[in-house]
Amino acid sequence: MSTAVSKRSVAAASAQGQSRPRPPSPKVPPYLGLAFLALVAFGLFCWTWEGDAVLFFPLGDVVLWAPRDPLIGLIIMVMALLICFKLRISPMGAFGGLALIAITYWAGSNIHFIDRIAEVPGRLTGGNTRQQLLGYFNPDWSYLFLHNVAGTSRPIWGEWLITLCMAVVATIIGCFIGLLLAMLASPVSSLNKGTSQTIKAINSVVRSIPDVAWALLFAAFIGGTAYGLGALAAVLALIMFNIGIVAKLLSESIDAIQPGPLEAADAAGANLIQRDRVAVLPAVMPSFISYSLYVFELNIRASAALGVVGVAGIGGELSRQIGRMSQGYENVGAILWALVFVVLLVDLLSLWIRRKLL
Amino acid sequence: MIKFENVDVVYPNGYKGLSDISLEINQGEFVAIIGLSGAGKSTLIRAVNGLVPYTNGTLTVGETVVDPKNKSKLRKLRSKVGMIFQQFNNVGRISVLNNVLIGRSAFTPTWRSLIGWYGSQDKEVAFQSLERVGIVEKAYNRAAALSGGQQQRVAIARVLAQDPEVILADEPVASLDPPTARKVLGDLRTIQRDLGITCVVNMHHLDLARDYADRIIGMRNGEVVFDGPTQEATDSVIAEVYQRPLSADEIRQARGDGRLGEHIENPTEADLTQAVPAVEDGIERKDTV
Repeated sequence: MSTAVSKRSVAAASAQGQSRPRPPSPKVPPYLGLAFLALVAFGLFCWTWEGDAVLFFPLGDVVLWAPRDPLIGLIIMVMALLICFKLRISPMGAFGGLALIAITYWAGSNIHFIDRIAEVPGRLTGGNTRQQLLGYFNPDWSYLFLHNVAGTSRPIWGEWLITLCMAVVATIIGCFIGLLLAMLASPVSSLNKGTSQTIKAINSVVRSIPDVAWALLFAAFIGGTAYGLGALAAVLALIMFNIGIVAKLLSESIDAIQPGPLEAADAAGANLIQRDRVAVLPAVMPSFISYSLYVFELNIRASAALGVVGVAGIGGELSRQIGRMSQGYENVGAILWALVFVVLLVDLLSLWIRRKLL
Repeated sequence: MIKFENVDVVYPNGYKGLSDISLEINQGEFVAIIGLSGAGKSTLIRAVNGLVPYTNGTLTVGETVVDPKNKSKLRKLRSKVGMIFQQFNNVGRISVLNNVLIGRSAFTPTWRSLIGWYGSQDKEVAFQSLERVGIVEKAYNRAAALSGGQQQRVAIARVLAQDPEVILADEPVASLDPPTARKVLGDLRTIQRDLGITCVVNMHHLDLARDYADRIIGMRNGEVVFDGPTQEATDSVIAEVYQRPLSADEIRQARGDGRLGEHIENPTEADLTQAVPAVEDGIERKDTV
């Protein structure tokens, strides 16, 4: 577009191009310091490196050499510094970039990331992995829809129903307990500072135990992988998992609500419960519904992982099929594909509910 | 009705909100409190119902001594002292009727509030309050969907549902446009006169204070610097309260010669140039109207 204004501004810019401010050029000494830091990091990398691959640099008479991976790290760091300098990024910003690269290198080298990932193509094309991959992309749908769970008369698709029921029960119970705990955990709606701190501490303990660990605990307490009890253990585990999430997220939503209506309720002589009911709850209701739907999705996914500890639902069947994976990957493939499909469906459903409700 | 005896308010951060206030506000009076931002107007009003605890002296409402430490006594006091705010402070997501019923909280058993099942008598009171402010047809609309003037009427109805002896109003019309401000304040004045409610109102608008109040109290730096009937609040007295001469425009408008203009709507021009001791508790709220 060449309007009069744009023409004029271009002309003005060319006339006064010099007077436009640019970011100040960073000073060299701090960057030299950063380069020194990069060398120190390189030294550390060399010191901790366990591999023995070496790169050689024939330079006329002398031949320089350096350990491969640390050298790659050093080159990346130096390149990053040069780019930062060219882009006139402040030394502090460049230091952040340098630190990011160094930490990433350190973490990756500890798990031999580069070495392992180099092996992947070989693994994919040969041996067992190839068979499994073929099985995954040729799922056995007849198994999913027509067969029974081994040794019982329950159909496989019935396990999906159990999973769904587990998720529904766990979501409803867990979210309501979570709501209650969130009210007690936020200083805005809680009885006093002490209560709020205590409940927050309990919440973080509940949250720090992963769902699989909860399932193992409950399976140990109430027993076995039997039809009923297995589901109960999973539901209890999911409830604890949900309480942790909802209480944490919702208490933060409560922290952030507008203080005005609370003050109005106070000024009208409402007591704490009335205030929480009439002023706090309506304000966080959209968040609560949103978190509950999210937690429901998580539950469907988590119940597959919980199967590993031998509880009911599709997760249990999945872990059984993984156990006999050497005889064919088609069944596992069918379950995994169906899981993707079901989670997607639940996702769409919750999206629709959210749109209707909020 | 409301009696301040040597009342001090010192905030936890050490800032002195009120110093040595002695006042008596009589039954059925409509009192306007004027002064710059940070002069202690809000603190004075909030001390009456204990939202801001006073630290020294004695404050009595009716027969009751305000005791900021005793929560159940405070609730009992607040049940008969209603409060209106600049930002309305309605709960936006619930219906107008439910907002008004918040005013019945002190008279409703907790379990009824909890399940949202109010008695028919409470509902009757709520509807009467809405009728009095003239928005009964909006009873089942969401409060956030109303205009500013209507929202403030909801807030007034909420207060009326308390069947209050005292209404405290903290800048009730400062977020409204001038004609609406006049209407809302006029309604408040009529209701107050009809029901014989004592009314204490913070105001920025000099002309509104002169038009509606029985008595004007001027505040500066946490102290009362003027207290008298509206007729005595002459321009020179007001200038003394604000510590600056009134502009010709302001005088003309305060006398009622001119139309209500935009700039008197924002008398903070001078406030902005002066050092304000502390930020008042004006929590900005974005209204969704």
